[in-house]
Amino acid sequence: MKPFWRAREFSTLAILALELLFFTYYLWPAGGGAHPFFNFDNFVLIFKYSSIYGIAAIGASIVIISGLIDLAPGAVIGLTSVITGYCFVVAGWSLPASMAAGLLVGPLAGLASSWLVVKVKVPPFIATLGVMGIWRGFGFVVTEARFYDLSSKLPQNWHVMGLPIDWLGPIIMVLLAIVFHILMTQFQWGRAVFAVGGNETAALFSGIRVGRVRTMAYVIAGLLASVSGVVLAAVQGQGKADLANGYELDIIASAVVGGTSLAGGRGSVAGAVLGALIFGVLRNALPQIPGATFYDRMIVGVVVIVIVVMDQVLVARSAAK
Amino acid sequence: MSGLVFRNVSRSFGAVKALTDVSFDVSAGEAHALIGENGAGKSTLLKILAGIVQPESGDLSWQGEPLKFQTPRHALERGIGMVYQEMLSFPNLSVAGNIFAGREITKSGGRLDEKAMRERTAALLAELHVPATPDTPMDRLPAALCQLVQVARALAFDCKVLVLDEPTTSLTDAEVDHLFAVVEQLKRRGLTILFVSHRIPEVFRLCDRITVLRDGKHAGTFNRAEATPDTIVRAMVGREPPARVPRASVDAGRIRLAVTRLSRAPRFRDVSLTVRAGEVVALFGLVGSGRTEVLETIFGITPATAGQVEIDGQRVTIRNARDAAAAGLGFVPEERARQGLFFNLSLVPNIILPKAAKDAVLRINRRNDRREVEHQVATLHIKTASVDRTPDTLSGGNQQKVVAAKWLATSPKVMLLDEPTKGVDVGARFELHALIRQQVDAGMACLMVSSDLPEVLALADRILVMREGRLMGELDGATATDDAVMQMATHEVVA
Repeated sequence: MKPFWRAREFSTLAILALELLFFTYYLWPAGGGAHPFFNFDNFVLIFKYSSIYGIAAIGASIVIISGLIDLAPGAVIGLTSVITGYCFVVAGWSLPASMAAGLLVGPLAGLASSWLVVKVKVPPFIATLGVMGIWRGFGFVVTEARFYDLSSKLPQNWHVMGLPIDWLGPIIMVLLAIVFHILMTQFQWGRAVFAVGGNETAALFSGIRVGRVRTMAYVIAGLLASVSGVVLAAVQGQGKADLANGYELDIIASAVVGGTSLAGGRGSVAGAVLGALIFGVLRNALPQIPGATFYDRMIVGVVVIVIVVMDQVLVARSAAK
Repeated sequence: MSGLVFRNVSRSFGAVKALTDVSFDVSAGEAHALIGENGAGKSTLLKILAGIVQPESGDLSWQGEPLKFQTPRHALERGIGMVYQEMLSFPNLSVAGNIFAGREITKSGGRLDEKAMRERTAALLAELHVPATPDTPMDRLPAALCQLVQVARALAFDCKVLVLDEPTTSLTDAEVDHLFAVVEQLKRRGLTILFVSHRIPEVFRLCDRITVLRDGKHAGTFNRAEATPDTIVRAMVGREPPARVPRASVDAGRIRLAVTRLSRAPRFRDVSLTVRAGEVVALFGLVGSGRTEVLETIFGITPATAGQVEIDGQRVTIRNARDAAAAGLGFVPEERARQGLFFNLSLVPNIILPKAAKDAVLRINRRNDRREVEHQVATLHIKTASVDRTPDTLSGGNQQKVVAAKWLATSPKVMLLDEPTKGVDVGARFELHALIRQQVDAGMACLMVSSDLPEVLALADRILVMREGRLMGELDGATATDDAVMQMATHEVVA
């Protein structure tokens, strides 16, 4: 067995730790007083926003490891919030029933994508680009550019099982990360995902049902994006067609920064969640630096490239040993 | 006159010394063979000659002038023309596009001079007797002609030294004859030929002198007239060559595989055959005769249009490799890198995946998997530092054993082998043959496709010959001769 510090997730964790140290030092308050970055409430905030990306990034990493790509999660998150909002606000369903309806949005997108990719043989990029457009567009058709206000029907100072609602996303993210990390590393299905992404033909010749593995990867990714959507609807208290616009790229970037190779066959679910947290910290801390406001998207872009290049160097070096 | 001289060339990769102090010379205008087992350093030497890697010490020269290449382009410009084993061609371009890729003829202003390139291409194709036009798309050409297009590309750049890296690996005998005729012709024109091969008979047929590499060192250069195949094999492996595979007494058991009127139109039709326990049956035929397709159809990779398959007397329906594994079939496909191996995974999953698919495993049992894989690695003598390594760290012969191990782990009743020793060195080849024999003697049935006649004659109890998608007849493995098999594979024959 590899020692734990040789695991790929460890370097992602190290980057996250370095990032925390850096911002803690950089944003140290001059006159004493409360630290604007290193405090409990701020960490809950970081977790809360990261979990929207993080939950979907779990699915994205599985899809990418299987050798595919999914551009639909942002649209799925948006439409999920719309469907949940419609059922809850307009149709007057109970909250659990509305959420269950919302959770169907993603698996349907996954079925559509996988049908196009596996059966019709449309390239994954194009297939999911199309699905993204249709799912996003359907949200606008339903809402007619309005939005559903869930928050007025939700309790003030809402607690679920004794915990504030802000904790919902982070807890779900951590639980799902554990579940899917185990599925990917300790079950035959996970091993088949790595095999299919590494060499599709050899997987076929080895008796792996390639089409089924890929269909499941897309359906799982859709489901997880829908979970993100339900969490977002509950936390933000609204259902809106243009919610999570452009998130697909951040979700893919989270997976890649967490060590998932876009070529397929390599990656990790836990890494993807850590990747989402790396972005979450950047988005939280950069606006607190005076003068950095207009630079934050640029900095995020640079960081993605630096981390991925560093990873390639490390991989090349360990391969040379 | 000194030709191409290698002097004290050394190169290592990490801790591995790929080449140590290699010195030899290739005279201008001769055909010179470079031969050695996988891992002997041939590829590294070629990469140095092609400018892909640089030597750490030592130097190269051509007719007294030193050659120092930083890039492949540089080597090409100095007259080193490489024809690679892996067929580095652009399938999406035309023949002319392939020949001039990267060095297109241009008119003033940088516009492509299509006419000049087409004319030059047509002349080269005529010279090499390639039945193609400059506009033929590359992906329409059979492998053998792609190789000749690469030769044409080297000639278009006015090369002085033509390097052929294992050019005959996937060619039929007739195609080899064509290639060799072309090479002879180029030699008469004054070109220097460096021919890299595993196949000793071809080396003797074509080359004036033979340089042998072993473990990254120069193991000797021999004149054709003074050497025998045994001398060369001894120099390659550093020991006596092993004897032919002992054939068990032909005492075949019950029928394990029965194929009845199997068809996959239009590739092959009405193929009926049986393989008994303890028997190796070879399916021989030229490229395009449908032999690989027969194996792939039995294994469920491609669907049959008619016919049926029985295993141990039970009729089976096989729609995919998973069904095939469940029915007791194993399949070592022709292209191990593309069809057999996962380079992103270690040997454990590589070897255990078919067994896991067959057993419909849900949760991975790492300890059992590891034990099974270590058992396979030990019985097949797979040389690897650990089962946690990825297959790219293994030599070709050991990679091939990994693909065999994948299916042996499923304890198959019938093993299908497609070119089981393609691109494998002499030592590993004998080991693989012995392994096949050993498994078959233990009761397995084996259906093997091979275009390597000596291999077919060494291993097969019966030889079925295919031509143009049909079975032409059967020969007894013990008494068949090269001529009889080839005749049946190429002409009408009174069976």
